[in-house]
Amino acid sequence: MEVDREDGRSQNQLRPLACSRNILHRAHGSASWSQGDTKVLAAVYGPKAGTKKNENPEKACIEVIWKPKTGQIGKLEKEYEMILKRTLQSICILTVNPNTTTSVIIQVVNDDGALLPSAINAACMALVDAGIPMRHLAVSICCCVPRSGLVILDPTKLEEQNMKAFAYLVFPNSVHSVLPEGSLSVQGEPIENGVITSVTHGVMSVDDYFFCLERGRAASTKLSDFLRRNLQHQSTDSSKAG
Amino acid sequence: MEGRLANAWRLTVNDKNFIKTALLSEIRIDGRKPFEYRKISIKFGREDGSSEVQLGQTRVISIVTAQLVQPYRDRPKEGMLSIFTEFSPMADPSFEPGRPGELAVELGRIIDRGLRESRAVDTESLCILAGKFVWAVRIDIHILDNGGNLVDAANIAALASLLTFRRPECSLGGEDGQEVIVHPPEIREPLPLMVHHLPIAITFGFFNNESILLIDPTHNEEAVMNGRMTTTVNANGDICAIQKGGGEGVPQRVIMQCLQLATSKAASITKQIKDAVEAFNTERALRKIKRHPTSTGVDVREKQNQ
Repeated sequence: MEVDREDGRSQNQLRPLACSRNILHRAHGSASWSQGDTKVLAAVYGPKAGTKKNENPEKACIEVIWKPKTGQIGKLEKEYEMILKRTLQSICILTVNPNTTTSVIIQVVNDDGALLPSAINAACMALVDAGIPMRHLAVSICCCVPRSGLVILDPTKLEEQNMKAFAYLVFPNSVHSVLPEGSLSVQGEPIENGVITSVTHGVMSVDDYFFCLERGRAASTKLSDFLRRNLQHQSTDSSKAG
Repeated sequence: MEGRLANAWRLTVNDKNFIKTALLSEIRIDGRKPFEYRKISIKFGREDGSSEVQLGQTRVISIVTAQLVQPYRDRPKEGMLSIFTEFSPMADPSFEPGRPGELAVELGRIIDRGLRESRAVDTESLCILAGKFVWAVRIDIHILDNGGNLVDAANIAALASLLTFRRPECSLGGEDGQEVIVHPPEIREPLPLMVHHLPIAITFGFFNNESILLIDPTHNEEAVMNGRMTTTVNANGDICAIQKGGGEGVPQRVIMQCLQLATSKAASITKQIKDAVEAFNTERALRKIKRHPTSTGVDVREKQNQ
């Protein structure tokens, strides 16, 4: 059963992806990520001395600042900051630089659906650009359940507003490892099958949710490959002189 | 959050002396001459009214939005124009999030004076129903990268986004003609704003030595210079605003020299902005022609028979 999408995509197709690293000069790391018309810019400063008041000084602290395109900062922005902070805290190795703060600043350039997933992807690229030690990367995708029909991936803003429910999912990226098979799995399952973050809006049945997870996981392998190719390609031809 | 020691960036004494000595022989550290501007690149986003300007290493984006509101009581026939500047912590490690600091407020005020008091944007054309409904245009300027001379870059970005912004067309309706109907962009083509002229801000830097004068300082030069002056002029030779807040005292003939220089620079920058807007408008018109969707995304196949 094919769902008729406005821009002609099938239900499993993502929008054209584009990303670039090291675009700002003052920031220690920066990246821009765009999925279709949604574009997000991320910058990383860190590690800086000192942690914030309520944070554990024996670990590194991650601070996220979310800047919307226009208007005041409200509850939605604070919620995004919190989700992003917890996601990044779980992928960064916090014990390497204790008592330091790494600031991640997200600037929304254009919002056309799937904003939080784009921001998470951009933040990961920016952390890699800044050289912050991480266990693995995170790739994020938005899956939604329409009123009738099958789960679709990567909605535009118009599609998101007409959905019954949608979920933002974050998975670890797929690992190419020199270690023997099995040492990177958790309880028998490979690490890519885990879910780092899941935020849902609206009501969906349990089956629909598991369906979203499965589709999301399949998409995340494609995203991981894209990220890996992009990072390798840029690191071979960039020279950081001056 | 309190400012932390790690955030303060100081130029070393050696760097400062090097910059000053080089300027005595009219050499700048990035190879420019004292009265040369850095390369300006103006790009636009997909939507109307969003622009990104890069002036050397400085990067600024500007977004224009508009809303229908009630006008001020003492100006019932005029629309409103407001400018919000955000010094994002992305641009510089010393920018803190939260309330705008004095630099951000000063930048906003300079751009505001240039646009409002010189009547560059026609606010009377923003009035739909006198006393009841007018358009309030809001310009949000986000500084992404601080490479020096934020005022000039932000000004160019604000102008570029104002020129490409389109507001929805509205007409009066209802029984007594007092209701305002806003037409969506798919039904009726949105209208551009009426901009009479383009006030361009040009910043000069002064040093202890009277013979040193430069234009468009980078952030290294800003840390060394002793005084600054921002003049807002337009291509017709009108002076829209001059801002010189303290700093090194400068003789009158130097001010006159700066003003003459500013007028010639303003002409070339105005041309550059107009060319970029022209190109965007052509591309926008081409996009209006409905085309078959050509975007092919990344296809994800579902797992086979688990």
